[in-house]
Amino acid sequence: MVLVVLRRIGVFATTVVVASIVTFLLLSILPGNAARIALGVQASEADVAAQATLMGLDRPAIVRYLDWFGHVLIGDFGTSTVSRQPIGPEITDALGITVILVLTSVVLALLFAIPFGILTAVRQRKPDGAILSGISQIGVAVPGFLAGMLLVTVFAVTLRWLPAGGWVDPGEDVGGFLEHLILPAIALGSVQGAVLSRYVRSSVLEVMREDFIRTARAKGLGAGRALFRHGLRNAAVPVMTVLGLQIATLLVGAVVIERVFSIPGLGSLLLDKVALRDLPAVQGIVLVLVVFVLALNFLVDLAFTMIDPRLRSAT
Amino acid sequence: MTVPTLSVSDLTVSSPFADLLHGISFDIAEGERVGLIGESGSGKSLTATSVMGLLPETLTATGAIRLNGVDADLLTAPERRLNQLRGRTMAMVFQEPMTALNPLMRVGAQVAEIMTVHHTETGRRRARQRAVELLALVKLPNPAEAALAFPHQLSGGQRQRVMLAMAMANDPQLLLCDEPTTALDVTVQAEVLKLIGNLVTERGTALLLITHDIAVVAEVCQRVLVMYQGEIVEDGPVGRVLTAPQHPYTQKLIAASDLSSVDDRGRLHTMSMPVVGRPPVAVSAPRQVHADAAAAVIRPPHRAAHQRLEPGGPPVIFNEVTGAPAISVRDLSRQYRRRGGALFAPAPIVHGLRDVSFDVAEGQRFGIVGESGSGKSTLMRILCALDQPTTGTVDVLGQPIAGASERHLRDFRSRVQIVFQDPMGSLDPRMKVRDIVAEPLRNVNRAESLARVEAQLNAVGLDIDVMNRHPHQFSGGQRQRISIARALITRPRVLVADEAVSALDVSVRAQVLNLLADLVDQYQLTLVFVSHDLGVIRHLCDTVAVISDGRIVECGPTADVYDGPLHAYTRQLVSATPSMDELARRVAP
Repeated sequence: MVLVVLRRIGVFATTVVVASIVTFLLLSILPGNAARIALGVQASEADVAAQATLMGLDRPAIVRYLDWFGHVLIGDFGTSTVSRQPIGPEITDALGITVILVLTSVVLALLFAIPFGILTAVRQRKPDGAILSGISQIGVAVPGFLAGMLLVTVFAVTLRWLPAGGWVDPGEDVGGFLEHLILPAIALGSVQGAVLSRYVRSSVLEVMREDFIRTARAKGLGAGRALFRHGLRNAAVPVMTVLGLQIATLLVGAVVIERVFSIPGLGSLLLDKVALRDLPAVQGIVLVLVVFVLALNFLVDLAFTMIDPRLRSAT
Repeated sequence: MTVPTLSVSDLTVSSPFADLLHGISFDIAEGERVGLIGESGSGKSLTATSVMGLLPETLTATGAIRLNGVDADLLTAPERRLNQLRGRTMAMVFQEPMTALNPLMRVGAQVAEIMTVHHTETGRRRARQRAVELLALVKLPNPAEAALAFPHQLSGGQRQRVMLAMAMANDPQLLLCDEPTTALDVTVQAEVLKLIGNLVTERGTALLLITHDIAVVAEVCQRVLVMYQGEIVEDGPVGRVLTAPQHPYTQKLIAASDLSSVDDRGRLHTMSMPVVGRPPVAVSAPRQVHADAAAAVIRPPHRAAHQRLEPGGPPVIFNEVTGAPAISVRDLSRQYRRRGGALFAPAPIVHGLRDVSFDVAEGQRFGIVGESGSGKSTLMRILCALDQPTTGTVDVLGQPIAGASERHLRDFRSRVQIVFQDPMGSLDPRMKVRDIVAEPLRNVNRAESLARVEAQLNAVGLDIDVMNRHPHQFSGGQRQRISIARALITRPRVLVADEAVSALDVSVRAQVLNLLADLVDQYQLTLVFVSHDLGVIRHLCDTVAVISDGRIVECGPTADVYDGPLHAYTRQLVSATPSMDELARRVAP
């Protein structure tokens, strides 16, 4: 067990390094001179050359990469070419907001998907099960930003129950924080919840046909008890796989939702920095997003190992 | 007379489309051991699931099922009452030891659960202790350790023991076993059957044992019910039914099960079951084949020497052939690296095959018999160049295939063909039969390909109007005929069959074996038949190699190996698969 965890940590660390190399390479093969981008089109050749030296662009790529990644490891993302401020603190602040948003929406999605999926599976042959299953189909088809705009229209514009956008730090005002969190989290989580509930449903249906559920019934457990004691953990395994895959989608969704609700998260920051052509900042943000996805997937992998004993000995 | 433990009267089970059981009635007395035999689809399992009240929702049952005479009809009893009875008064062991246990739960906890559910043991800890005792009762080695194992850490036989421990935990009055040993190796099967027999006898539990295998019934049961198409056609003491079956179906079933008895043309007794198309008769295709297969030289049949591997002795070259053998294997070893273990330590090596050397003569029917994990499948895959040996040489039809590239094997692939075990899994469900059978053909135009498919289907006893159908529209036996047609269409010289009849019912098995025997003669094939079933090999093969733990331990003419096994392992194997004559002697009143 310990070995398996160590191995997974090793894989995680390796992937992070590979991801940093890919990020660095992708941004350095972008057309255009980074120094000229920083100074603008009117700058003279001499100024651009001086800027390039200042930014260290005259050094070989490998040196620049090691310099950049080495500093990233100690939390230093470099200096913005636009604001001349360190990028690190900006990223950390935005990351905190995005993490809260994404995790809240994951929790909401699970809180919806698990009971809903089980219900539609168990009541598969009943009319209510079929209707609920149809509703979740519709949910899958609605894109997150549309859900967000609908929510804003209903709850912020018409009913005036909740704010239409913006962000309040939980340290300042917990009530305000929650008010500002709830609509974007629902908008982001609703689609994921609908998709997940489809997977929960099919996974539970699958598990209900398993021989060991029949064994449990033969032991004298009722249908519901057999499903809860023996079925759900087994059904969780494929659902977790999907959840792991969805996390990347969630982050992409967060970029859009943060725009819709004007939340100063990583997504908003990334779009701002792209518009400003602030390459060091873009590079840092992309890396943080990638590592965030990898970290969540790493946690999902660990959870797998906890759930399924067959994974503890193999690989 | 006392009240029977189980009384089933006029049980009818229907799906929306048809009746599956037609009003069957039988009693099982207290402590009586009753076998229920029949082929797949005859309604055996439906009978047991009806008794347990676990029929699928889509089926409806009428009639009456009573336990101990006291309980109300189980078919109409409320679910709560059934939950109290299941696992306590009646318990069931299922066929699939691999999937019948929850893979995420320790087996001890799964055994303990049946006691906590019924409150027969107070407290979780007591139940866990009892579970360990029960695991000891079913003779699981190191029961305390085994209780902490997850199902995937146990072998099939061990899992079936766990199932049995679970079923016996609350001392039920009725034990239902549905094909409990079908998925197990023959030697393990014998042990588990003995265990079931002993447990129910000691505890006076009534037993309903469902199986397709008459030998299993003879081993354990006192009485036998024979089912055919949803009806019980015969009911009597095992000895009487085996030696003097009354119903024509039973007579045929017993004749077809008996692989040692043949008719005056040397063919197995088959049952007149509907087959699509005409029975296998000599048709046009084989004649053509004779012309093609020019290499077939008539030579005196090769007779193998009867040899065995001495424990700790030097490797032996079995069945050595002078001249040009069809297959020649020398010093073949195959090792695997098992993943896992320590982080940086080299992966442990598993020996699949060790120093295997043997020949197969042209035209020989060579059987390879062994249990799961013996290495027989690895050997089969290497002979077909689907796997590569770690060391050693393999020559097939004079061509070295160890290490050969796929391009060099193209010709080899058409001359060596395979029939696999699973007739469902080895046919692409989305392809039509004509395309499946024609697929191995290369550089053949459409018209000729069609003509050859037709001829080939005819040769395996299928009508040509099956060509446009898909595999799921056929029975297991028919699918295996399609597989054989596919294998023979390239006019191979070597046919390798991997458990080719293991998934088939006895009656169909006899037909397919007859067909294989005919085709091997007609096409002058060299046959390598891999199986766990000694009976099948004895019937079909002239020479047999016994493989155990990656080594051939004994090889010789089939009859000699049977009648005078030299190696201890062979003796064990032979005694675990008694012939029908022996069974009849054993159960004789």
